[in-house]
Amino acid sequence: MELLLFDAFNGLIVGFFYALMALGLSLILGLNSVINFAHGGFMALGGYLAFTLVPIIGFWGALILAPFAAAALGILAERGLIRPLYGRDPLYSLLLTFGLALILEDITRTVWGAQGLPFAIPNFLNHPLNNVYFFVTGYRVFVVIVTAIATAGLFAVLRFTRLGICIRAGNADLETVASLGVNIYFLRGANFALGILLAGLAGILAAGQLGLTPTMGSSLIMPSFVAIIVGGAGSLIGSLLGGLIIGVAAGITTAYFPSASEVVIYLIMAFVLMVRPRGLLGQEGLFE
Amino acid sequence: MSLLELHGVSRSFGALRALSDIDLTVEPGELRAVIGPNGAGKTTLFNLISGFFPPSAGRILFEGREITGEQPARLVARGIIRTFQITEIFPDLTVYENLRLAVEAAMGLTFRPFLGAAGRRAVARRAEELLEAVHLADKADRVASELAHGDQRIVEMGITLSREPRLLLLDEPTAGMGEEETEHMVGIIRRLNRERGITMLFIEHDMDIIFGVADRITVLENGTLLAEGNAAEIAANEAVQAAYLGSRR
Amino acid sequence: MSVETETRERTRAGSSLPAWSGERLRFAIFAAVLLLAPVWLPLIGSYTDLGTRVLVYALAAMGLNLLLGFTGGLSFGHAAYFGLGAYGTGLMLRYVGPNMWLAVAAGVLLGGFAATLVGPVVMRRRGIYFAMITIAIGQMFYFIAVRWNNFTGGEDGLTGFQREPLALPGGSVTLTGPHFYYFVLFFFAVGVFLLWRVLNSPLGHAMVGARENSRRLEFLGIRVERLTWISFAISGFVTALAGSMNALLNNFTSPLDLYWQLSGYFVIICVLGGMRNFWGPFVGAAIYVIMQDYASTMTKNWLSVIGVMFMLVVLFFPRGLLGVLARRRSG
Repeated sequence: MELLLFDAFNGLIVGFFYALMALGLSLILGLNSVINFAHGGFMALGGYLAFTLVPIIGFWGALILAPFAAAALGILAERGLIRPLYGRDPLYSLLLTFGLALILEDITRTVWGAQGLPFAIPNFLNHPLNNVYFFVTGYRVFVVIVTAIATAGLFAVLRFTRLGICIRAGNADLETVASLGVNIYFLRGANFALGILLAGLAGILAAGQLGLTPTMGSSLIMPSFVAIIVGGAGSLIGSLLGGLIIGVAAGITTAYFPSASEVVIYLIMAFVLMVRPRGLLGQEGLFE
Repeated sequence: MSLLELHGVSRSFGALRALSDIDLTVEPGELRAVIGPNGAGKTTLFNLISGFFPPSAGRILFEGREITGEQPARLVARGIIRTFQITEIFPDLTVYENLRLAVEAAMGLTFRPFLGAAGRRAVARRAEELLEAVHLADKADRVASELAHGDQRIVEMGITLSREPRLLLLDEPTAGMGEEETEHMVGIIRRLNRERGITMLFIEHDMDIIFGVADRITVLENGTLLAEGNAAEIAANEAVQAAYLGSRR
Repeated sequence: MSVETETRERTRAGSSLPAWSGERLRFAIFAAVLLLAPVWLPLIGSYTDLGTRVLVYALAAMGLNLLLGFTGGLSFGHAAYFGLGAYGTGLMLRYVGPNMWLAVAAGVLLGGFAATLVGPVVMRRRGIYFAMITIAIGQMFYFIAVRWNNFTGGEDGLTGFQREPLALPGGSVTLTGPHFYYFVLFFFAVGVFLLWRVLNSPLGHAMVGARENSRRLEFLGIRVERLTWISFAISGFVTALAGSMNALLNNFTSPLDLYWQLSGYFVIICVLGGMRNFWGPFVGAAIYVIMQDYASTMTKNWLSVIGVMFMLVVLFFPRGLLGVLARRRSG
């Protein structure tokens, strides 16, 4: 029973990484109409940038600064590469971000090395909070708290700021938003940056738990796709929920049948697609 | 026996009554125009006849048989074919390929694994025949999207004919066309009606076309049947004049 | 031998081509070049296996292109069926017996039926959602190969099998060098002929119709979902055949042959050569394989090389090589 709890909790934490990734992907999918294959690459970049920044500005500084640094690079990519492709066949933006993902992975490998790197977290976060539930370490609770804050922050931005309101309106009807005088190029750029910001944050959180490897991006992005499909395209809450569901499901499976822990999330996806093709909270006929 | 009969047909969307208590009879071989101001219920009428949604009340008969509430696919099989306000063709295929695809679908060949030489010849013959019917033989090898709008619309007519329609519903067939294109289209409509005896219902705004082509005219206003008759009768009808002058202003 | 949707100078069914039109002459030259590859490849300082690899990748991409270029389904998960084809062949040779025909059949059936089973899950969707689902489902097969350690060799890949002599009516042939090239060329021709037959049938015409205007096709009474499914399945069978060849070429297969990055490579191969063109993926595969062969000796940063290629193709070359040529020829 304790083992099951341990695995389920572990899965939940991983689910939080998926959820953060899926939220960002979902944002970008919504307003930019792009599946950002490079999302994993930006996530790894966030983690690696934090790794480099920690000795200079400390863990807390890096936790704040690295995601913004990743987001800044995201803006550059959006401006220079993705922007020319809006309105063209979606195949091309897919291929472009795909190529970008490969390049980002290669850059992290070249700069920081192919070997995995440990990512140091503040000491007090390493200790279990409870002797019985030894797996509830400070860091895991920290991951939950940071994700909750980031998610709440995102929803606050979307609800209360002018930028957020424009993003939501743009998701519903971009042409109308444009006709109201909003600069949709700026809007899409900002939205992309917001998505990458979340990816960068996920990268740091994941680094503290799993360490850093150049391939962390390409291995964490697929479950995030699954999270979106399960949760339903077009729904941010759905993406969040999808991430947590598949994380926990993978965790529970680990307890009983470890070698199926990855496969199970794809089975869940296939099941959802057969039973409810639009996903748990998705809208019908989106992105087709 | 009449080809199409509507008895007391109504359709509501929530509180909105789009059509109420329509009685309509179309004889075989007739070329019937449906006119009326915007929002009169013309397209709703087409949607009901072609089965896109069922009537809220009333009955629809086709060739004496009740078809109320039947699915569009069933009605297509019965020979009730329609076009839409937007042109639906295969843009990057040639005119011939557009028609060939339609013919193959109509002949039920699409999911057959093998098609012998005889089958190919039958398809080619039928496609050539349709090309002639809509006067597009000289443009057969042109890519459809490169044609003028009017010609694209005619390609669509050809596709529609592949199903051997017994009743053709044309939703604004000349919308957005220039004078010459319109004339060409009207010529084709008239010929298909005369030579092939295809019964047609068409929605139209252009009075010259309506009075020049239609055997009979049905006038709708606010979801009700305002008038019905031949060109002279409709032109003389005071209610129609009032409705039209009212909406034209 | 060309598909009618290929160029804008098209001919109609009834009027048959003159015996040696440009189209046929071009195909004859192309066939001769392929048939003589083991002769001329060494002369230009290359080697036969490189030609074999071009055939393998070309077949995989041409299989994918039935779906991608001709049906309009953005599949980003075709490495799965390629890899399953490879595993089917490798597992057959390793665990069952040294029969090459059975081994190829096992690969084709494994990959092809997997695609057929996946079809209903993906066929209701189009556009980028289709891309996302196909790539995610492909990953499932990747993880099965990684985790089913004692059967598949796990992360290290499947070893312990090799090309066996090929049983033919006149005796058996050892498949080394040029012999193996012709073995692959034979299956390449089979796969390509199948694709060509499909594309020139009413079924293929309807697939192109689905790409062009799926709603119009529905009005013609054709179920686009069913069409997508069939296209997905056929495409999967052909790509699996390529995967089977790949396992035999390397006497090895690994989960990387199922990985989503390879799926992306197949897509870019199609786009690079011209995905609206029947032979486009072949041209793309030739460029890709030669470039990879060259780059692997020059740089460790192969990922960046191919990543940059993705971007250059998308930004400057979206119609692909043959697409540009076809357009130029038609003026």
